[in-house]
Amino acid sequence: MYPSRLFKTASFKLAAACALIFGMSSAAVTGLVFLNIKAALDKQERTRIQAEAFPLREEFSLGGLQGLLVAIRERQRGHLAGGLDYSIVRSDGERIFGDLPKMPLSEGWKSVSGPPDGDEPEGKLERLNVYREKLSPDLWLLVGDDKGRVAESASLVLQESVLGFLFSLMLAVGGGIAVSHVFLNRIDSITRTAEAIIDGDLARRMPLRGVGDDIDRLSSTLNRMLDRIAGLMDALRHVTINIAHDLRTPLGRLRQYLEETRRRSVNIKGYEDAVDHAIVEADEMLETFSAMLRIAEIESGKRVSGFGSLDLGELVSSVMETFKPVAEESAHCLEVVVAGRCLINGDAELIVQLVVNLIENAMRHTPAGTNIAINVHAADGTVILQIADDGPGVLECEREKIFRRFYRGELSRTTPGNGLGLSLVAAIASLHGVPITVADNHPGLLMRFEFPAFGNTANAGRDGGQRRGS
Amino acid sequence: MKLLLIEDDIRTAEFVLRGFREHGHVIEHATNGRDGLLLAVEEKYDVIIIDRMLPMMDGLAILKSLRNVKNETPVLLLTAMGGIGDRVEGLDAGADDYLVKPYAFSELNARVNALARRPPLSNEITFLRFADLEMNLLKRTVTRSGVMLDLQPREFQLLEYLLRHADQIVTRTMLLEGVWDFHFDPKTNIVETHISRLRAKLNTGSDVDLIQTFRGSGYALRVPL
Repeated sequence: MYPSRLFKTASFKLAAACALIFGMSSAAVTGLVFLNIKAALDKQERTRIQAEAFPLREEFSLGGLQGLLVAIRERQRGHLAGGLDYSIVRSDGERIFGDLPKMPLSEGWKSVSGPPDGDEPEGKLERLNVYREKLSPDLWLLVGDDKGRVAESASLVLQESVLGFLFSLMLAVGGGIAVSHVFLNRIDSITRTAEAIIDGDLARRMPLRGVGDDIDRLSSTLNRMLDRIAGLMDALRHVTINIAHDLRTPLGRLRQYLEETRRRSVNIKGYEDAVDHAIVEADEMLETFSAMLRIAEIESGKRVSGFGSLDLGELVSSVMETFKPVAEESAHCLEVVVAGRCLINGDAELIVQLVVNLIENAMRHTPAGTNIAINVHAADGTVILQIADDGPGVLECEREKIFRRFYRGELSRTTPGNGLGLSLVAAIASLHGVPITVADNHPGLLMRFEFPAFGNTANAGRDGGQRRGS
Repeated sequence: MKLLLIEDDIRTAEFVLRGFREHGHVIEHATNGRDGLLLAVEEKYDVIIIDRMLPMMDGLAILKSLRNVKNETPVLLLTAMGGIGDRVEGLDAGADDYLVKPYAFSELNARVNALARRPPLSNEITFLRFADLEMNLLKRTVTRSGVMLDLQPREFQLLEYLLRHADQIVTRTMLLEGVWDFHFDPKTNIVETHISRLRAKLNTGSDVDLIQTFRGSGYALRVPL
């Protein structure tokens, strides 16, 4: 199992590919070097032959044919020529001395084949390089050497190169296997950790070697992802508990009420009132569910299709016109300032709900006589919606929490509400890529929503929404 | 009224059937989409109530088939899904109204009544009259017994809605949707506040209160007995 997996690993494949490319390039280099060495050896050989031929020509001009023959024999005897072959022939091709094969006579180099002299491979003729020198109109001196000598040296070089090449190829493959092995081990430990997490050990995290390489980086990213998931699961558990709590309370109340009615009511009127009351309580619970479903729907991001350009200032003014009489009734002073055209890209229905929730939130959590000011203006690629009141405000430590589902502030435990109004606001803002700032209005609360202006999508998108306390 | 209910959930259906029968209406019931469509095509109804999720054929498909054969019977869609996209989809398919489950029977009743009695060509009307109340939709003026009333734009819209549904109960949600275009439930008493302001303006110089409140149901423009 293991070796076949090893060959399948990405690192082994990479190492193999590297080895292949390396092999091909070193083969090419070796070939070139071989050809160059061969050419150099050839040249050296020719120089040597010529260096033999010139003194012999001198001997001929000094001592004639006899002198030349004596010189040649001397050289052959004393191995001065290093195993060179000599021949003296007449212009008509008759050989006077030596045993080089017949060849056309003209000045310069010629390659010929001769009978084997023992150092050739079986059945091959000896290959010779011959230099032809015209001594007199009738006499030619031929000096030749076995080409095999050069080939021998060159093939020696080639052999060495091939050996070296094979050795480095082995190193590359071996290295690839070793690297893959290490890599596979680490991947295996990540896999084992993941399996453990799948099996329920949610606290497990990917092992880190602390060397900061790419696998470490991957592992730490995975760990951060796991932390985030754990955080979300925790929040989910929290929400579930809250839902259970939030719905058990009114259900319990309803049950008590019905029980009491059963015990006490003596007339139809009493029962009718009790039923009406029970319906109101049930409606409140249903509304909590609707709000939760709506938040979930908005958070799922499906609503983006309903986006279009809309004037936030106009929309806020229209909502304010509706709420002014309501505010007057609860003795709140509602004021709106809209500066110019404030075009944003959004879902009108959701933005209306956001504004309504903000106003209602401000009215419900502040006492009579509180001023609530809403301001809409365009600024530098954004459209700012700001709502400020001079009511009791929100404790600094609570500012981050007011957007949480079911959260009820310390100062507003007793006011009616399901603790979902601002969660819905946060969900809508997040869908529109709108960061929310919550600050102190000295006194009171100030909330600021920064919409990307229509056409300016720089910070639009679901991830743009974030909350900042300041 | 003669109504058709296409709803597969027996308990919900019985709740609706009983309710309408108690109000003296004739209502027929189909438990699946195919039977429902057959009934809807064969018989003549005042309003058809269709659940969106049905076995055999879903509510939207029935609605589309009906509109394809030029059957213009008013249709009210019921749905368990509260999503806005679903509502738009339903209205696009040709639904005349849309109600999210769970709902109060009074809400369903008011909406069905409004659909059944919807006057044709309502957009071409330029005058609305009720008792001694007169509204000019072009000049955007309102008079009561010939005396001009000074209404805010929203109050004008609210009164127009009541006049178009004169003598019918309109619920708080119908007003929120029809007058304010709010498709959610505000926590404050917007409707109550605006109705009471409108009522005060209508009643200046008259001791007949034309806006009647029905507790737990809604409001109606009606001449008191």
